[in-house]
Amino acid sequence: MNFGLSEEQQMLSDSVDRMMAGHAQAAAADPISHWQDYCDLGLPALSLPEAHGGYGGAEEVMIAFTAYGRYLAEAPLLQPLLSGRVLSEAGGERAHDLLARIISGQDRVALCLWEPNSGWHWDAPQTKADPMAQGWRLRGQKTAVLDADASVWLLCPARMADGIGLFLVPPHSDGVKIKTMRTPDGRRVANFAFDGAYLPADAAIGDPTKNGALLARAIDEGIAAVCAEMVGAMDRLLEITVEYMETRKQFGVSIGSFQALQHRAADMLIEIEQAKSMTFHAVAAQRKDAANRSCNVAAAKALVNRAARFVGQQAIQLHGGMGMTEEYPAGRYFQRLTVLEMMFGNTDHHLSQVEKAGGVTG
Amino acid sequence: MDLGFSPEEEEFRAEVRSYLQQNIRACIREAVLEEQPLPREWNVEAQQILNRAGYAVPHWPVEWGGRDWSAVKRAILTEEIDSMGVPRPLPFNVALIGPVIAAFGSEEQKRRFLPAIANLDMWFCQGFSEPDAGSDLASLKTSAVREGDGYRVNGQKTWTTYAQHADWIFCLVRTSREERKQQGISMMVMPMNSPGITVRPIRSIDGIHHINEVFLDDVHVPAEHLIGEEGRGWDYAKYLLGQERTSMGNVGFSRRRLARIRARASQTQSRGCRIDEPAFRRRLTWAEIELQALSITQMRVIDEGSAGDTGSAGPDPKTSILKMKGAEMLQRASELLLDTMGPEAMCNGASLEGGDPLTEEGSERSAIVSAYFGSRKYSIFGGSNEIQRNILAKAVLGLGKRT
Repeated sequence: MNFGLSEEQQMLSDSVDRMMAGHAQAAAADPISHWQDYCDLGLPALSLPEAHGGYGGAEEVMIAFTAYGRYLAEAPLLQPLLSGRVLSEAGGERAHDLLARIISGQDRVALCLWEPNSGWHWDAPQTKADPMAQGWRLRGQKTAVLDADASVWLLCPARMADGIGLFLVPPHSDGVKIKTMRTPDGRRVANFAFDGAYLPADAAIGDPTKNGALLARAIDEGIAAVCAEMVGAMDRLLEITVEYMETRKQFGVSIGSFQALQHRAADMLIEIEQAKSMTFHAVAAQRKDAANRSCNVAAAKALVNRAARFVGQQAIQLHGGMGMTEEYPAGRYFQRLTVLEMMFGNTDHHLSQVEKAGGVTG
Repeated sequence: MDLGFSPEEEEFRAEVRSYLQQNIRACIREAVLEEQPLPREWNVEAQQILNRAGYAVPHWPVEWGGRDWSAVKRAILTEEIDSMGVPRPLPFNVALIGPVIAAFGSEEQKRRFLPAIANLDMWFCQGFSEPDAGSDLASLKTSAVREGDGYRVNGQKTWTTYAQHADWIFCLVRTSREERKQQGISMMVMPMNSPGITVRPIRSIDGIHHINEVFLDDVHVPAEHLIGEEGRGWDYAKYLLGQERTSMGNVGFSRRRLARIRARASQTQSRGCRIDEPAFRRRLTWAEIELQALSITQMRVIDEGSAGDTGSAGPDPKTSILKMKGAEMLQRASELLLDTMGPEAMCNGASLEGGDPLTEEGSERSAIVSAYFGSRKYSIFGGSNEIQRNILAKAVLGLGKRT
């Protein structure tokens, strides 16, 4: 057992860090304009098999997403990770070709997991695809799809007699209503209504009897990645908070000299270290069988979520009024952490998942 | 990065487990698992069996019985010892005074003490805290005045665990008054049967006698019982506190408690909180998740430590996280365990009429109640949680540099 980076991992970490730090400096650019840089580093293929141009695994994904969180990066990295995994294992020529276009940066695909009445339970979609002579008609709604408007394709799960169908849908087409909004941390998210949208026969990907397991795997990878992103953001947020505590003076001394505040910061540190540990745990769990993997990943997300809420709220508190202003960075980290807390499920949701599995399994 | 245990590490775990199973008597392991107080002889017996296999002092220098194992392997060993219900090697011996003598003692002291310490032929207790020197240890007052070929020691030590069992005590004493209170402190050892040493028991709120006051009245300590150099006691104390971090989080111990809680709460005839009660189940689930995190945090601290060995630099400040979280887990587990008892948590001790208490086994019940009260000590001794937060804020986060 060892937690250090290998030489290759260190190189990846350095180059991702350099790139994202650079993007963070170039403020106000459209995040999509950074995407090609991500592709040049091979980030969309990071965890895929070598045959697809991948060169790593969950550890490398963790490295990339930790930096992503630290610099509050905004280029659409999560969706390619999710859809890349699904497409790489769904089989078929269409999936294969599309994956190649994702990896090269030509296309982007957004996975649509949640529906207005689903909560975070993605595994029983109400969206339906009715077969017709030469294709399908899609009816239903999807909600909170991250980076959907920047995508060439939506990947939509739909209810089928024999499982979950997966359909490629162009987001701007007849029978598709899109409502784009901002996330609280300033990224883009969309809701969709499909009102009998026509899909050609080759829009269906994978095998409905196996797609559920495929989605579960992609989501668990996504959760581990998001945990890493939260850890990266929390690490930086604590640094910012400590810097502030050392410079802000009240009653003639820096507020960092007050023991009550020092102890709060120490508690934030402990939460972050525990969250890091659980992120490693989520990464290691990717190699376990499906039931073990999901239970342990859920345990990780529950703990990282709780840490994020605590660290985010306390960072604002320790900044005082300054923490409430939008121009100060602490608030942006808090906003990002809150969005990620809600991504794939909040704390209670994941605790329930762990409980259903009969508790934490080793 | 390798986030799992290697095949060699897993093999080692299996080897340890089977040795412990075969060699440590079941009655000892059962008593430990039920957290009953152990007779002195059982501690000695268990440690000698561990020592025979090289499991008592693997972190010591090789020439004194150490094993040159990786910190990860040592952590696996401790986890197995804890989860199998084997009493740990006496920490005062193997984790505290032993390493200090190995590092700073004279050759004569090493030969005389180290084998006996490892084998628990000599039982050591620790004389650090005093009535007016708790968290502020450096303000200790016990004095050692040079006299002929030795010292005359006067003062009082307190919270001395197992002084009633001990053959020897290692003490911090003041050998001179200096500008800083950390200076002028020395470390020395003395036999507990020295004239002038009196032990007075203190019963703690768990109803058990573990701790004592130790009075030192004109105790004569020969010069050869001074450890290392006069005046460097504070450095040695810091060195000692930085030793053997692999067990700081008490992960195996807490894991054992949580497994026991789940088992008790899952019995159909469970008397108290049950696993099908959502509020209780959620508290247990949280504890299990946090313990999982702690077990990895512990491995990470160990891994960082072995990358750049700390030597005599004192404890890695991040061990404060292990200390605090480890204490919290022990305390939360003891609460949950108490909650599994239901109304019988109010029935403590043996029946006054003697004989069968009519319900659950009396000794098991009393041990659970006792463990709850006893567990409050974990956030107090060895640097209270508040002291640990000070360390984290100052040494890790760098707060309070500018006032």
